[in-house]
Amino acid sequence: MPQAATLTLADALPQLAAIVDVEHTHLGADAFSVAPANAEQISAILRFGSERGLTVTPTGAGTKLGWGNPVAPHIRLALNRMNALREHSWQDMTCGVEAGCSWAAMQAQLARHGQMVALDPLWPVRATVGGIVATNDGGPLRIRYGGLRDLIIGMTVVLADGTIAKTGGKVVKNVAGYDLHKLMTGSFGTLGVITEVNFRLHPLEVQARTWSAEVADPLLFEAPLRTLLDSHIIPSGLQLRVDAQQCAIDIRVSATPACLDDHAGQLTKFFAEIPVHESNESVWQARQNLFDQPGVVILKVSVLPSQICSTLSQLQAWSVAEGAEFAAVAQCNGLVNIALKAKPDTATALIERLRLQCNSVVILQFPAELHGHIDPWGFDSTALPLMREIKRRFDPERILNPGRFVGNI
Amino acid sequence: MSQHESSNLFATMLSAAQIAELRAAVGADGLITGESQLQTYECDGLTNFRVLPEAVVLPRTAEQVQAIVRVCARHKIPFVSRGAGTGLSGGALPAAGGVVISLARMNHILEVNIPDRYVVVEPGVINSHVTQRVAASGYFYAPDPSSQSVCTIGGNVAENSGGAHCLKYGFTVTHTLALDVVLPNGDLVTFGSPALDAPGYDLAGVFVGSEGTLGVTTKITLRIVKRPEVVQTLLAAFNSPQAAGQTVSDIIAAGMLPSALEIMDTLAIEAAEAAVHAHYPMCGGLLLVELDGPAIDVEILMRETRALCEKNGATEIRIAQSEQERMLVWKGRKAAFAAMGRISPNYIVQDGVIPRTALPEVLMEIERMAAAVNLRVANVFHAGDGNLHPLVLYDRSIAGQEETALDLSYRILHLCVDKGGSITGEHGVGKEKQEALGYMFSEPDLATMQLIRCAFDPESISNPDKVFPRTRLCADRPGPYTPHPLETAGIAEIF
Repeated sequence: MPQAATLTLADALPQLAAIVDVEHTHLGADAFSVAPANAEQISAILRFGSERGLTVTPTGAGTKLGWGNPVAPHIRLALNRMNALREHSWQDMTCGVEAGCSWAAMQAQLARHGQMVALDPLWPVRATVGGIVATNDGGPLRIRYGGLRDLIIGMTVVLADGTIAKTGGKVVKNVAGYDLHKLMTGSFGTLGVITEVNFRLHPLEVQARTWSAEVADPLLFEAPLRTLLDSHIIPSGLQLRVDAQQCAIDIRVSATPACLDDHAGQLTKFFAEIPVHESNESVWQARQNLFDQPGVVILKVSVLPSQICSTLSQLQAWSVAEGAEFAAVAQCNGLVNIALKAKPDTATALIERLRLQCNSVVILQFPAELHGHIDPWGFDSTALPLMREIKRRFDPERILNPGRFVGNI
Repeated sequence: MSQHESSNLFATMLSAAQIAELRAAVGADGLITGESQLQTYECDGLTNFRVLPEAVVLPRTAEQVQAIVRVCARHKIPFVSRGAGTGLSGGALPAAGGVVISLARMNHILEVNIPDRYVVVEPGVINSHVTQRVAASGYFYAPDPSSQSVCTIGGNVAENSGGAHCLKYGFTVTHTLALDVVLPNGDLVTFGSPALDAPGYDLAGVFVGSEGTLGVTTKITLRIVKRPEVVQTLLAAFNSPQAAGQTVSDIIAAGMLPSALEIMDTLAIEAAEAAVHAHYPMCGGLLLVELDGPAIDVEILMRETRALCEKNGATEIRIAQSEQERMLVWKGRKAAFAAMGRISPNYIVQDGVIPRTALPEVLMEIERMAAAVNLRVANVFHAGDGNLHPLVLYDRSIAGQEETALDLSYRILHLCVDKGGSITGEHGVGKEKQEALGYMFSEPDLATMQLIRCAFDPESISNPDKVFPRTRLCADRPGPYTPHPLETAGIAEIF
């Protein structure tokens, strides 16, 4: 951008401070950190950025800033001041929340009326609504309640040119106009800045029980898992925890106590000679624990549900052969997180092998030593030119997280 | 070029050379240009809007769809894709000087995968055929618009169709995993994947519900759902729809998520009884609650539901004792629209959404607005998700009454928006509610939607002049309801 060349960051400082205020505008070594108070200030910042060719990374708590291709923006736009639960219409089972609100803070308020947004993302205490939506994160609850695309009913977004746009609404059923919020969900901050999100809510799971079973090879779970998925049991969590030596399955069901007793009997039958025992809720921390390990590569792998056990079993064989360590937590809807501890060459080779047989393999936690050696997205689709065109229409100056997303969008 | 300027170009007739190109694209047996045959395609379920297309093409493959769309793109000929034509908002209305792409011949179920719970279909496959195909394995396809015995999956994708059970199971978009789409430039692209979370923008999510304005879908991967162990349906009679509405709020507040919650008022009950003899109790507000799930759970929750009905003064409570009885209950509910013909010469169907809690207030306001202009409004609604279907009854033979009825139905939509709701829950914006979309969304919101439109269809040839408000034309009015030919023939019930 020619403008950026002539505009030094020091020159831009007073102009940004005039939009937000001095107290919330800081110039670090190579970037601004700006914390706007409302969508109008974000609009002014983005307009300024578009005019001057200053790149912007929207951020909440920053827990997932390392996901995707690295970006070195001129402006880090912190949403942490915009953190209010704006509306909780508990009788309508909907809420509207600002993007900078932490997930746990939002859920705590919703829980006062026995409700929740039925999603269990990573780092709930710190991670913000906006960041979770932008990265389309979600955990075990997804098997019962669907992902963010099924839970979001409306959104407010600020575009690169400063336009403040609303999409959807506050009602669960609504087919008026395009669902811009579906485009924004999982777009990694490349199309606009999410400032507010409306969710549909579900009742809290009051009575729930968790059962587990353990084997050495994930393949041994293939038959019982298939029977379970084909039964009338409706799990609200169903995961496999795997490393090179062993594999555990966890099953959570929320239902009436009488129903849960009945399910316990059924599960014992499904798993035949593999003993099933009741276990502690803490097993559902497994996915979080993967991400909390230091110095690992973390993948998000998507396969068809019927391929989970064979994929994990193969991974066990590969890791032994290649001398790599791994731990994986697989949701039985086919979304698998794998933490790899291996030399960069080994990690790269393993990822490439996985890409040959899985529907998609994305590198989430992407250590610097892999940068430039492998594409974190591994994405090749006939739809890529259209995605680029959408990016061009929404952000013609490429100021929003340029290069971070698929195909260097 | 603005959309408006380009739509002026459309009003020209197709040349013989262009017709020849279309024939080459689809074969002689796939092209209709005779006027009498074209008339079949001049409208959809909203029959008061009619435009005769220049040509109708009936492709059998995605490659033929591509070839057709390329011809259209080359000559900037507007096209609209069409399934069974059961839509209620004029979404499949042809453009003047344009081509209709009927997907009726692309009606094959291509793959059934029970372990991974998906089915791959062509767009012309009929909704209920998907369920029929997987029923023996204990599965079903959840979205159930009541035209489901004739409407097609391609049309459902365009409209993001719902149905009575979407309170629990969601809409077409909830069940769409992947789509093949012919873009308005003729490129064939794939959105999504049968496996979850394909990287990139969620273009399948954007495409579903775009009412044919972003391209033509040629292949759809649908999620199927395990059939619940038990389904139970309860009918409760109340003195007013408000009391029925309060019961709905109480059921939700108790933490239950029924698969359906429907309310009908006296007029609607009368009409349904006259048409179908569903043996409904005559009352001010009839509540229908359907619970499904594990048998033990359903039994316990049904007891709770019963208690809540009693608490709110239900004068009669019945639980359908057999599958046959349950079907009869639903038949009455689904016939409610068409049945209006029994109690009124003419009527207009609307499709507003309000936050559930606004229900009593909005019902009172509708009653007041109707009384003020001496008209009757029957109410049938998916109460669980606040989706109202007010039916404005009138008599066209009385001078001025049609205009009054149109105006009333239009003001009811505005009322829904004013209460924080939407102008459409499942029928779509189409031709009918273009101007109302401008009442619901502000200029920047609409301009942002146009960015998507322009990325997909820069020449605005895919179902042009639909959904979005037109700049220089007078405000739209919703049209009076006239039964679709399929409906009068008893093939489909539409609501």
